[in-house]
Amino acid sequence: MKLTRRMTLAAFAGMLAIGTAMPAYAADLIAIITPSHDNPFFKAEAVGAEAKAKELGYETLVLVHDDDANKQSQLIDTAIGRGAKAIILDNAGADATVAAVQKAKDAGVPSFLIDREINATGVAVAQIVSNNYQGAQLGAQEFVKLMGEKGNYVELVGKESDTNAGIRSKGYHDVIDDYPDLKMVAQQSANWSQTEAYSKMESILQANPNVKGVISGNDTMAMGAYAALAAAGRKDVIVVGFDGSNDVRDSITSGGIKATVLQPAFAQAQMAVEQANDYIKNKKSPEKEKQLMDCVLINGDNAPKLETFALKN
Amino acid sequence: MTKQSWLLIALTAAVGLSACKILPTPSAQGGDNASSSAFNPDKMVEDNWASKVIPYLQQKAGPFAQVHALAKIDPAAAGSNYGNPKKQANSPWTFAVRLEGKVVAANTQSRAATIDVDVDGDGKADARVQIGPAMRGTALRDSLDFVQFNDFTNQIDFAQFGKAFNAYVDKTVLSKLPRDGLEGRTAKVLGAYTIEGGQDLPLVTPAEAEIGPKP
Repeated sequence: MKLTRRMTLAAFAGMLAIGTAMPAYAADLIAIITPSHDNPFFKAEAVGAEAKAKELGYETLVLVHDDDANKQSQLIDTAIGRGAKAIILDNAGADATVAAVQKAKDAGVPSFLIDREINATGVAVAQIVSNNYQGAQLGAQEFVKLMGEKGNYVELVGKESDTNAGIRSKGYHDVIDDYPDLKMVAQQSANWSQTEAYSKMESILQANPNVKGVISGNDTMAMGAYAALAAAGRKDVIVVGFDGSNDVRDSITSGGIKATVLQPAFAQAQMAVEQANDYIKNKKSPEKEKQLMDCVLINGDNAPKLETFALKN
Repeated sequence: MTKQSWLLIALTAAVGLSACKILPTPSAQGGDNASSSAFNPDKMVEDNWASKVIPYLQQKAGPFAQVHALAKIDPAAAGSNYGNPKKQANSPWTFAVRLEGKVVAANTQSRAATIDVDVDGDGKADARVQIGPAMRGTALRDSLDFVQFNDFTNQIDFAQFGKAFNAYVDKTVLSKLPRDGLEGRTAKVLGAYTIEGGQDLPLVTPAEAEIGPKP
């Protein structure tokens, strides 16, 4: 009995060794690393990247770093160790990620970044990111219009370590601050979290019952804020989000949240895989490392056409 | 420090001065997410306005009716003629235009004030021109073929550079325009607009603008 088990183990180990020694027989591997799939945005990225990679004949390794830079570093080691031919990465911090991506590069594994920039160029092969600033300006312009250019408002900000939280906030203020009759009565981070946004909104509303609008750094926080407002009988408050999730789409079509901004997450992830494929097969880098994808305003007019972070024609 | 390295620094500085370059050099290590202290978009716009931006727009701009007709059937062709062919692939096209006509409507209630201009004389508005102080978009920046996103550290710097154009035009041109009784007057504009979905009228951001006297 014991002997058999040992033999099985040995055979298994042997198979593993053969597997790694003869990569020509196995499909090439692409690692897809994103933040937690709890947020449908990151899930859409992973699903989009995986589908495209499989379509192009790759095996995939889908991992989540939960916005923890140390965990991300370990996952990159895993990807290198497993012999990944490329890494598709939505990263865990603009500064902290530079070393991890450099490590992969030194090991001969190219990285293709999506969604978030890092504070270095020449380390990743590509950085394909949504034009968050342009998107924030679209959202803010719609917010200003909905507010009639005046009144008290609240801003919910995202997670501080994520560059996009700051970029969106700046984009919002770039537009809103041109209107002196719009007064920000509270600005708080709810860390991209729906539950945190709910409780923050509850207490903000108690302190500022005269609030007329809420502009949120993403959709999950917008959902949380709107739920708190609805629970307090304040469905009149104008809420605008960012991401273009199906949840917010449904809220818009049923007259809840007023607008959001679509980030083409699905298309972005697929584009990154296509560029990785081109790099693996033809050693061809994209013409530009940093590539911006414009965002699209979603309101009552086009919300029905939104599905999983893409607009249907 | 050795004599040679001083010489190298001096040479580098000299090259930097002689090369007439509008854009900031991308820094390898951004450090802070916000703009670096050396980055001054307002000054960059001011320094290049008369020497590069206006000459470029004057040379590149086409008559509005012609540009818009082409943009509707072949935006890429219109873009390479009148815009920045090296733009980000997924961004919409932006075109440099000159436009002359009659103001048929004005919205000066909003801080994002606009005038609607009839270009072809049919009494109907063909374009909406922003007259500030609040302005939308980054059409002026995006029409320039010598401005590329990859030359900037990050999208914040790039966006602030875009906003600096609007602020400069508002300060030097638009804030001097009349605000009352605009309908019926003539308007003459050199500027740029971006094709966007869901717009009633093309939204033109002026670089130069004149409004004639009351009729």
